[in-house]
Amino acid sequence: MLITFFNAILIVLITWLAYLYFDQREKAMPARERYAQLMRGVASIVDRLEGYDKEHSREIAELSERIGVACGLNDQQLQSLNAAAMLHDIGELLLPRDLVKSDKKLEGDELELLRTHTLLGELHLKAQIEDLDEVPTLIRWHHERWDGLGYPDNLKGEEIPLAARIIALADAVSAMKATRDYRKRQYSRDEDVVAEVKRLSGMQFDPQLVKTWIAIGCPLASIKQ
Amino acid sequence: MTLRLQSAWLLEAVSEIATIDSVFFPFVHRFSALNWLSRRDFALSVNAFSPSQAMLLRAWLDGSYGVFSERNLQKFNQQIKNPLDLSMNPFRAWKDRLFDRQQLDYLFYWREAAFEIEEESQREIFWSAVYQIMSYWLSNRACEVEVECRPDEIMGLMLNRHAEFIKGREAKVAITSLSLDELAPAETCLTLFPMVFGDEENAEMTLQVVFDAWHNGHDDLEQARRQIRMQLRKYQIDLARPTDYYTITKLSANSKITALIWSGLDLPPALYEQEMVRPLQKAFAARYAKSQLLMKAVDRTCDAYDYLLLFY
Repeated sequence: MLITFFNAILIVLITWLAYLYFDQREKAMPARERYAQLMRGVASIVDRLEGYDKEHSREIAELSERIGVACGLNDQQLQSLNAAAMLHDIGELLLPRDLVKSDKKLEGDELELLRTHTLLGELHLKAQIEDLDEVPTLIRWHHERWDGLGYPDNLKGEEIPLAARIIALADAVSAMKATRDYRKRQYSRDEDVVAEVKRLSGMQFDPQLVKTWIAIGCPLASIKQ
Repeated sequence: MTLRLQSAWLLEAVSEIATIDSVFFPFVHRFSALNWLSRRDFALSVNAFSPSQAMLLRAWLDGSYGVFSERNLQKFNQQIKNPLDLSMNPFRAWKDRLFDRQQLDYLFYWREAAFEIEEESQREIFWSAVYQIMSYWLSNRACEVEVECRPDEIMGLMLNRHAEFIKGREAKVAITSLSLDELAPAETCLTLFPMVFGDEENAEMTLQVVFDAWHNGHDDLEQARRQIRMQLRKYQIDLARPTDYYTITKLSANSKITALIWSGLDLPPALYEQEMVRPLQKAFAARYAKSQLLMKAVDRTCDAYDYLLLFY
């Protein structure tokens, strides 16, 4: 007999497992898409309340994803990266409106208070989701700098998780070409943004990440825009 | 030596137990890790693992140091227009291994120039800015990213960053540089042990080696490395050695609360619980009635978690 009884059992088993896998994946996909849509919805509310002139969080999430893919992050890491990038500024909703929307450059205690948005974002999300999920922690560290002079924990270099370094780069790139209440657009030309990112490599940004960003063509916004 | 000290998390956990206003660090891995606490009026007693680390702590955290003066900046950070004689440069062996020719010229010039600065605090700020510049150059070099800023411009930038960092800071940091055997317990509400495992060399350790050699005016990295490893070994706590429990319990003798923090990678939390937490609970059983282990995920795909163990 070409197919032994054992082989037949094996074929049936593999077919059944494959069916289970594809069936589960099909069921899981819409849930994932629904989750992504929900996340975009929440992020757009944050952006609206923050007074951004465009979909800031979505732009950062998509830019982060492009860099994350180029860095070789796996699916689970990309999912966390996306969620953290979408919600990175959520802590600002818990701060006084006049502070967040101030049209002057903040200093001293006011600046310190604004900087707590990273901690507030983490704290409030942590209270709502599973204890050992990394998304709140990534939100906490999206303003850390490669040279250890960021905030809130002054982490340095590779102490900062890669996903948080990616969000920091995407956020800064977006900020450089955005208008804020307290200032005009920092750089009007795209090449000036690229030059500034290169200048800050090894200070504000992870040099390896800057290299990766350059290798994928220095994207300044998401492809979908 | 990856170690993430999350001060706000620590205080959040400790505030449920007691009100604290002072913290003792028998060891600290990096000066900037103390920024959050020192900005919030906590009285800090910090023991640095080497004289150059103590210098960095003073320069970046002690508010009484102030900022680097404009007059000194003009005088001691001049642009080098023509290359210096390389044969006179004590760091010439590092050429193209760690730094390029221009960077080496500046490292030589800055070190010598600093000796001309009259006030010690100003000199230490200037030297500590070189630490940040070395970090910037080495990390870019490691990734083969070309640095476009001129060295004297970077020095100006770093001193600006220093001025921002030190601004509004009060001098409430007591800094020592002693071995764990010589160190006495401090009268503080909280004693905090950042835990260091193994002595595998990472980028930060390489930076400390290069900076120490430069600070001491020679290019012998092996000597600097041996020196640092010897100093660090006193802080690398091997929990299989009962004397280390003794060191930890001895140094926390005058505190209401003792906290141990560490960052784990590639090992599941249950293993740390079994191999570290339980033996420590036994060691502290006579001193503290309660203990609590807290964890935070950093990257679940590689079992990267931060841990905080409290005894009270």
